Amino acid sequence: MRTGAAAGHQGYYHEAIRYDSDDELLAVLLPFLIGGVEAGEPTFVALGERTGGLVRSALPPGLKVEFLPGGDVYARPTAAIRSYRRLLADRVAEGAGQIRIVGELPRLAFGPTWDWWARYEAAINHAYDEFPLWSMCAYDTRITPAAVLADVARTHPRFATPDGGHLPSPTYTPPAEYLLENHPVVPDPLQAATPAVELTDPTAAQARAAVHAVDRGLLPADDVDDLVVAVSETVTNAQRYGVPPVRVRLWPGHDRIVVTVSDGGAGPRDPFAGLLPVGDGDPGGLGLWITYQSCNHVTLRRDEAGFTLRLTAGNPHHGG
Amino acid sequence: MIDEQRPDGSSGHVCWAYDDPATFRRSAEAYLTAGLAAGERVWYISPDEPESVLARLRGVPAIADALRRGAAEVVPLGSTYASDWTVDPAAQVAAYAAATEQALAAGHTGLRVVAEATALVRTPAQLDAFARYEHQVDRYMRSRPFRAMCAYHRPELGARAVAELASLHPESNVEELLFRLYAVAPGDGHAALAGELDPSQHELFGTALARADLRPTGGELVLRATGLRFLDHRSLVHLDEYAHRRAATAVLRTGRPALARLVDLLDLPRVRVEVAR
Repeated sequence: MRTGAAAGHQGYYHEAIRYDSDDELLAVLLPFLIGGVEAGEPTFVALGERTGGLVRSALPPGLKVEFLPGGDVYARPTAAIRSYRRLLADRVAEGAGQIRIVGELPRLAFGPTWDWWARYEAAINHAYDEFPLWSMCAYDTRITPAAVLADVARTHPRFATPDGGHLPSPTYTPPAEYLLENHPVVPDPLQAATPAVELTDPTAAQARAAVHAVDRGLLPADDVDDLVVAVSETVTNAQRYGVPPVRVRLWPGHDRIVVTVSDGGAGPRDPFAGLLPVGDGDPGGLGLWITYQSCNHVTLRRDEAGFTLRLTAGNPHHGG
Repeated sequence: MIDEQRPDGSSGHVCWAYDDPATFRRSAEAYLTAGLAAGERVWYISPDEPESVLARLRGVPAIADALRRGAAEVVPLGSTYASDWTVDPAAQVAAYAAATEQALAAGHTGLRVVAEATALVRTPAQLDAFARYEHQVDRYMRSRPFRAMCAYHRPELGARAVAELASLHPESNVEELLFRLYAVAPGDGHAALAGELDPSQHELFGTALARADLRPTGGELVLRATGLRFLDHRSLVHLDEYAHRRAATAVLRTGRPALARLVDLLDLPRVRVEVAR
């Protein structure tokens, strides 16, 4: 039995909040959260430190709302999907008729890594649709770039407004369509230079060795091991399912290593590849899903030359 | 190279693939000379005519002296292994165990052999039996002072057969080999995995696991993986299935937390990772 605006809705009821004051945020969230608890629905808050504190102090004392550490949840999109899907499956198994969540991406996500968070916002329309979830994603318009807000409108079916409204988003685009579009990728400044290593049609072992060769103790060993996993999976996929030549390029920087893997093919057919484990038997889906969880940023690009994945270990929030 | 370590015989079980017989002979002679220096009895097991082998070895001073003393022997391949040229793994290990005990009883510190075994692995059935034997004798070597260099002539066998054999040795000179599965000392688990396992190795890995025929104890197959630099998700799935067929949980002991993260992602019910830095 679902309550509130999502009453009678099947699957995921996904909304965005665009607020430009704390009062506006609270005007939407307080009734949403209090209504959830009063209806006996598991109700979660995954906000940043400031907004989380604001909401906590505004809620009636003792209200059974569960606060999740927002920064941890939103470290990597695929990991966020995985952990939310577990949380939702557990609550449904316990008999929940609806689950309410309000979430907010850290401001850092609006920089060079926004593209994969935009894909996250699109993908979850599908990834959470098997659950009776009503969620709101909060965006502070005072600090959110216009291009990000445009993607928010395209990836959220509706907006929750401070006057209690739930308005359809005119530019909403179904996820399978949105995810197959070529979205702009912010070039990493390291890529302006000649790559430190460039390999053509390497074996996965040679590509792994190249990562170790450029690292030279630059990144923590765990980060390098994770990047090695990602590069190995990506090169294996390119060899198996792509079109030769497969090219691997590596750029070490002082706080990160950037690797691109390209081939002459069209890339995975499944729009959710990387964000969900496997889809429709699309080969290589598990490898790409592991890759998304082993790097701090993954971009993808399809053009006339083929398909390119860019993997970043270390700090992906460069100034470029 | 599979790791930083050059084959130096320290593990006691070396696979030596060769193209040029003269180069192999020099390596074999050095290997036997090192054994004599360590007080071991040494055997040179060869398919060649014994007299010609003896004539050659007499040109190596340390071995010539040992041949006179009886500390070194040339043994015809056919007399050591089964007459139909297909090895019986358990019987062969027992034969070497008896020979090792005799060497000890005669005052040697152990037994060391060079076995030119190409003639024993020519057919698929021979290769399968011999590869199974290789792991069993590897296990014996972890507890008793028996050492061997197993030599194979690559042009006759091909790279695949050589890889199948080399992957079951703790040491080899096969540069393109990515991983090894070998025995460990009693109490140190069921086997060790070293090197790198990726999709190019899946078939070889499956074959190696089947031939090692690891027997779980207490519902676990403990694999020392401290020398394993990389293991991809498909190899983990393979290991999970192997453990499942043996009604066990595979326990990977590694220094790499990345492996634990990967196992956690895959939700594999039959694989557990124990990380020790």
